[in-house]
Amino acid sequence: MPHPASSPPQSPRSVAIVGAGIVGMSAAHFLSRAGWQVTVYDAGAPASGATGSADGAVSIASKKPGPLMTLAVAAVRFYEHLTETGILGDEYLPRSTFVVASDQEELGVLERHASHLEASGVSIRLLKGAALTGAIGAAAPSAIAAVEVQGEGHAVGYRVVERLRRLGGFPIRRNCRVSGFNFSKGRIVGVVTEDGVEPTDAVLLATGLGSASFLSGLGPIRPRKGQLIVTDRAGADAPSFPGPLMSCRYLVSKGSQAAPGVTESRSLGLVIDPLRTGQFLIGGSREDRDDRETTDADVVATLLRDAVELAPSLAQLRVIRVFAGLRAATSDGLPIVGRVGGAENLWIATGFEGDGICLGPLMGRLCQQMICGEPVAHDISSLDAARFGLSLATAA
Amino acid sequence: MSAEVLVIGGGPAGASAALHLARAGLHVTLCEQGPRLGGALHRQPDDPAQRIRVPRAQSQRWRALSTALEASSVQILCRHMFAGIEGGGTVLLEDRASGRLVTRRPAALVLALGAVERVTPLPGWQLPGVTTVGGLQVMMKSTGQAPDGDVLVAGSGPLLLALAAQMAALGKAPVAVLERSPKLVSPSVIASLITAPAYLREASHYLLALARAGALPQHGTWVRAISPRDGRLAVTIVDRHGRDRELVVDRVALHDGLLPNQNGTAAPSNGPFVVRAGDCREVLGGVAAMADGRHAAKAVLAHLGRSTEAEPSATRVLSRERRAQAAINALYDYSGADPAWLPDETVICRCEGRTLGQLRDLLASSDPVSAREIKLNGRFGMGACQGRFCAEWVAAFIAAQRDGEPPAVSEIIGSRWPVKPVPISAFVTLPPSRPSE
Repeated sequence: MPHPASSPPQSPRSVAIVGAGIVGMSAAHFLSRAGWQVTVYDAGAPASGATGSADGAVSIASKKPGPLMTLAVAAVRFYEHLTETGILGDEYLPRSTFVVASDQEELGVLERHASHLEASGVSIRLLKGAALTGAIGAAAPSAIAAVEVQGEGHAVGYRVVERLRRLGGFPIRRNCRVSGFNFSKGRIVGVVTEDGVEPTDAVLLATGLGSASFLSGLGPIRPRKGQLIVTDRAGADAPSFPGPLMSCRYLVSKGSQAAPGVTESRSLGLVIDPLRTGQFLIGGSREDRDDRETTDADVVATLLRDAVELAPSLAQLRVIRVFAGLRAATSDGLPIVGRVGGAENLWIATGFEGDGICLGPLMGRLCQQMICGEPVAHDISSLDAARFGLSLATAA
Repeated sequence: MSAEVLVIGGGPAGASAALHLARAGLHVTLCEQGPRLGGALHRQPDDPAQRIRVPRAQSQRWRALSTALEASSVQILCRHMFAGIEGGGTVLLEDRASGRLVTRRPAALVLALGAVERVTPLPGWQLPGVTTVGGLQVMMKSTGQAPDGDVLVAGSGPLLLALAAQMAALGKAPVAVLERSPKLVSPSVIASLITAPAYLREASHYLLALARAGALPQHGTWVRAISPRDGRLAVTIVDRHGRDRELVVDRVALHDGLLPNQNGTAAPSNGPFVVRAGDCREVLGGVAAMADGRHAAKAVLAHLGRSTEAEPSATRVLSRERRAQAAINALYDYSGADPAWLPDETVICRCEGRTLGQLRDLLASSDPVSAREIKLNGRFGMGACQGRFCAEWVAAFIAAQRDGEPPAVSEIIGSRWPVKPVPISAFVTLPPSRPSE
């Protein structure tokens, strides 16, 4: 699996990273620490895409069983590692997630999902009756069971990016769109921007949805819009919220667990996330649309109705902001990480949909390992770009 | 019935627009967030017997307009707060009496949201007991009473005079009125106001009342800092010679001019035809607002394909008021304190308690961080007011630190609905457009 950059050793070697989201910035950090001369390019500003509008779940609770769940477990451990080594400061907040079932059908989904989590080595606790109301004071009486998913947490995507920016070691070119690459003998040798051509020894594409414009074979990456709601602060006497509450329906909406009758074009899964500020982040929709600027009252009201059903005390709060973001989704629900055909020194990391904050730092580390030609710490063969036959468009 | 036209804001501009639209035969609904029409300028008292004195011409203008409005077909909805235009183009109103969210799809929307009051940051401006001059004046108009205790009025602008004189008329003149601008009325200003003599009359009445109360404005004098002391406020004042002195008071009212309230006024392409009117379009005061309401009505009628007549008198009023306001504003200094000497602990964003030190820290590196990064990581503009009160200042501060690429206020201020915080309990009353999954 390691694909060494086959250039002769130079000192220092240079790498161009396209995209200053959490994946690109993490890779930039690790490559810079590995002695590479890194330049990050972004058409806008750091964290201006999905990273800046994500909910910040560093969570295994909702992951689809299989490689994604396994990688999420490793990714959460990696957040813990980055916290222990001081790299992330206090940006990662460990806490449990609570997945709540409100009827028998949801309970079935919950139990099935819980067994997958346990099989992946995640420690969980099934809460019913008094244990449920004791653990989650805010849960509605209609909640019949909850699973506490332990050993995970929360990090705000743009704050992680800001932390990595401040640690520094590499320049960020803001408002600098990469329009293409220069080639020589099957390798990328230059990054083309409106400022000119800059030589490079390797390239990592980490531009989320923007990655598609560099690739031939349209289709594997598509926008999936999410709308999110921010509330004002809850009073000190509000019922307890020990961690995010996730409706069991969220698992269905996300496709983590199958259920009949869910439409593809728009689904509303619910997570109520208590923020450190005392505010709540409530979301989000999954809509196959690409209008990231608009938010609509119908989606917001539906999410809020569901939220109040799950935690009635939320009705006392006020909505202060509503925003939307676009996730980069793939047709099989798995990210795309690895080499791209068409140039031997080109790598890609995109298609994380709603899992970018959780997986981002680990994927940045694995990209660094691949680019440095080091052994890659986790099996990411299922994320390989070859499964979509992707290659660099301009190299065709 | 013809399509509905929705007018937001029950001040002079909104009331005038609604009246003229109704007279043209349209179905008009006028929404006001407060309990009564009037806006900030013509705020009506909670108890009609408890009313503060305002210039007679001003109250007569409002009486004439509100009487005509009552006789018209305009449907008036008080306690209805404009929450914005959502992505689907629907106008959202929070009915504060019933606690429900109301949706409307009008053929046209007139926004007459008035002005926002500027206060430039200074140490201690976020303390309890510190208010805005306009806010205090509206409170006095509502209650008919001046606040108890020692009040200091400071900043710049004609509103300082009006508030101080109204307090004096109630026997509770401020302990001092500090006007930052060193200028006094000049002959050239009087000359420019010759076509708007009402302002000169109003100012002379105010000055007379303040002279009698011994509270004439101290020009060239400003507040450096406010700090709490024994349940009161200790205010450091810089006089016209640059010397500091201290005054201990119960309340401080600050004001640094007015800006159009354009929060949430951007219209999505699939939304209604939107016209702004009054101070929300251009801050020209109450006389101009009534004329501008007529202009807004004309724009709506033209959009709806109704025949309209020219409004030469409204146009004349607007140009006269624009000249008068320019002359008045030239007398004042709305710049506020020089940020260079403001201490790091000065609060910039009062919603989230973010400080100047935190802003300086974000700007400290050689890396040219963008306005968006400053917003996200500094949390300026991320609070309940969406930057309505700090974005202009933050943008100006960044511009002063940077050569060449000052950020636009629009990069910091939020333009999203809800325009103001809306209770979740109101949202859940919206009928689902489709069954919940």
